[in-house]
Amino acid sequence: MTDTALEAAALGKRFGRLRRSAGWALRDCSFTLPAGRVCAVVGPNGAGKSTLLALAAGLMAPTEGVLAVLGGPAGEARARVGFVAQDKPLYPQLTVAETLRMGGDLNPGRWDARAAEAIVAGGDLDPKARIRSLSGGQRTRVALALALGKRPELLLLDEPMADLDPLARHELMGVLMSQAAQHGTTIVMSSHVVAELEDSCDHLLLIGGGRVRLAGEIDELLETHTRVSTTADTDLTPHTVVESRTTGRQLTALIRPAAPLPADWRTGTPTLEELVLSYLRNPGATTPATAVKSRQESVA
Amino acid sequence: MLEYRIDRHSGVATYVQIVQQTKQALRLGLLEPGDKLPTAREVVEATAINPNTVLKAYRELEREGLVEARRGLGTFVRRGLGAAPADSPLHTELEDWTAKALESGLDRDDVAALFTAVLDKHFSARQPTEQRPSEQPAPTKHSQGEPS
Amino acid sequence: MTALTPPAAGPAHLTRWLIRLHRPALLLWTAVVVAVSGVLLWLRGPLADASAAAWKAYDACRTATCGYDQAAIIHYKDVYAYTTYAVLAAPFLVAAWAGAALTGREMETGTARLAWTQSTSPLRWFASRLALPAAVVTAGTGLLVLLHHLAWSAGKGRIGTLKSWYDLPTFYANGPVVVALALAGLVGGALAGLLRRGSLPALVAGLGFTGLLWYAVQLVMPHLWTTSTSVVALKRFAPTGGGLGVDEGIVTATGAHVSNLTCGNSENDECLAFYDRFDAVGWYRDYHPASHYWPLQLIATGLVLALTALLTLLAFRLLHRETGARRRSS
Repeated sequence: MTDTALEAAALGKRFGRLRRSAGWALRDCSFTLPAGRVCAVVGPNGAGKSTLLALAAGLMAPTEGVLAVLGGPAGEARARVGFVAQDKPLYPQLTVAETLRMGGDLNPGRWDARAAEAIVAGGDLDPKARIRSLSGGQRTRVALALALGKRPELLLLDEPMADLDPLARHELMGVLMSQAAQHGTTIVMSSHVVAELEDSCDHLLLIGGGRVRLAGEIDELLETHTRVSTTADTDLTPHTVVESRTTGRQLTALIRPAAPLPADWRTGTPTLEELVLSYLRNPGATTPATAVKSRQESVA
Repeated sequence: MLEYRIDRHSGVATYVQIVQQTKQALRLGLLEPGDKLPTAREVVEATAINPNTVLKAYRELEREGLVEARRGLGTFVRRGLGAAPADSPLHTELEDWTAKALESGLDRDDVAALFTAVLDKHFSARQPTEQRPSEQPAPTKHSQGEPS
Repeated sequence: MTALTPPAAGPAHLTRWLIRLHRPALLLWTAVVVAVSGVLLWLRGPLADASAAAWKAYDACRTATCGYDQAAIIHYKDVYAYTTYAVLAAPFLVAAWAGAALTGREMETGTARLAWTQSTSPLRWFASRLALPAAVVTAGTGLLVLLHHLAWSAGKGRIGTLKSWYDLPTFYANGPVVVALALAGLVGGALAGLLRRGSLPALVAGLGFTGLLWYAVQLVMPHLWTTSTSVVALKRFAPTGGGLGVDEGIVTATGAHVSNLTCGNSENDECLAFYDRFDAVGWYRDYHPASHYWPLQLIATGLVLALTALLTLLAFRLLHRETGARRRSS
């Protein structure tokens, strides 16, 4: 297994050159995702999360830049990558059992029939039911079974929990974590709700407006950022300011401390959601991605 | 089977909660030396947290000498913590004392404040004194259910 | 888990699932082919015999009043027309299905992406989409063309109003051009599905493409082989010569051929004046005799197949550019 699951350098994707309204879905994205991580891809709707996942799955070619998946171009890793699209496409005329059998046929030598059937059985699905008769949550289950059945090294999920009720969500998240625990699968999940990913993910990729706003290990990101509260007009100079707000006589800010902070400042660790929102609201804030990466490199 | 309950809003890091709950189980005698801790896979399947968090917690416990990881077999309890298993005399005395405090009109916060004050007096600055040598677990078997 | 990259799904598996997914269409196509084949055999046998007998009676009847089975003659004519149009419709049917169901719907619902993320490279996926359907379409359309030709031949010399070999619908339904057109429709429809990404737009585009191709073939076909020319003096009624007409007109005294200038009967005074004005000394007619049938058919078939191959290549290139996939690697 390779050390790096995904590596992007100046990655860009543009749609529809013939249409005048064509724009860049992703522009100048660079990040590294080490293997064995559970990564949350977060960002507002239309930020480019789906595009990034589709590029990693080998469904499209980048317009510019490079994306290395499991050490090579996306097309070569196809057999080792699992993908579930946002709309969970399945063939409506097949039954559940036939869908799984097709998965086995299309992934010879790599199919784990027991695991796939276990996921389907967890939802009490009738194997003879046709896909077109299933509800959204049940389809998600089948789609996940297909993706996990091929024992991928990298699993890409585009808003997987959207259709699921809280019970199913917890159960399937448990299945995914168990997969990561047992096989060291790298899991990349996109969502526009940060809170539901906070416990299970240890890596963050924040995408806004087609660009990478923030990337790195969640623990490190939370350690290197501090929420401070002090009197207005305080000079925050030596520190990098991500976002600052003055209300009345109080100044609150999210900063990356460059030096020990004065004792009279009230400080606290930001939550992941606060971190994400601050970066999204302030596109100009410089991303510490390279700083985090270089620290990883020196530690590794 | 030891089950962990993660409280996401407690402000305490998840891995710390696992460490604390494991120690609690050791104290109460739910885990004895030689018992196998649940595998990371079992824990995350039930709690849907990141497996690295569990591994981090187990590493912390190993660092404190409470458990040891045996390659390919799992993580096993090395030594116990329980100076006061559930039906020890200390436990019974504490029960009696609390009942008396309730009778004399103290509410929960009062009791906690009183107890904390005494704790602080005897244990300076949160020094863990769990490394007491030659600690034998209580010879009596307890009815708290089979630790598995 | 194996450390080496495992083999990708074999073509047998892909084909098996293709059949499973498009089973209704396959059954329908088979039913249509069997049905039309049956009608063609019926046409060739009993219907032709009945019509021939009626014609014989009609011919023998010229001098006296007698009866003949007119219904049989009309029946033969009608069934012949229906089967001819059925054969000619095959390319349209194939193109519509290829666009709508084969690729268009898969692109629209995202199931194409499902296949691509289940370890089948987009190029192999597309190749499997074309291979079996091409074989099935060729076999079915080929059978129909063969049976049609046999049915038509069975009427030669026996049935008075049998369409001539150069009657355009008959010309095409009797030969391999329509098989090539069906293949072109398959690829054109499939390509339309890739481009339009929706079943209805792809269906319309596939039909439109097939229609345009038919039109182009009909325009070009007479010019695919050198014509024979017949020249007659001005004394006769009009330019004569059977076969597929390509061009006709007057021959001037200098030997030049001026096309599309006929007035008609040279006995007519007005026309005589007309012809004098143009200094006409005769009529010419460029045409293809019956011996040119096979050269014309084969060259037209070759051209359509070449176009089909080009479209196939184009489709693969398009997929490669869109997805960055390569043939062998995944």
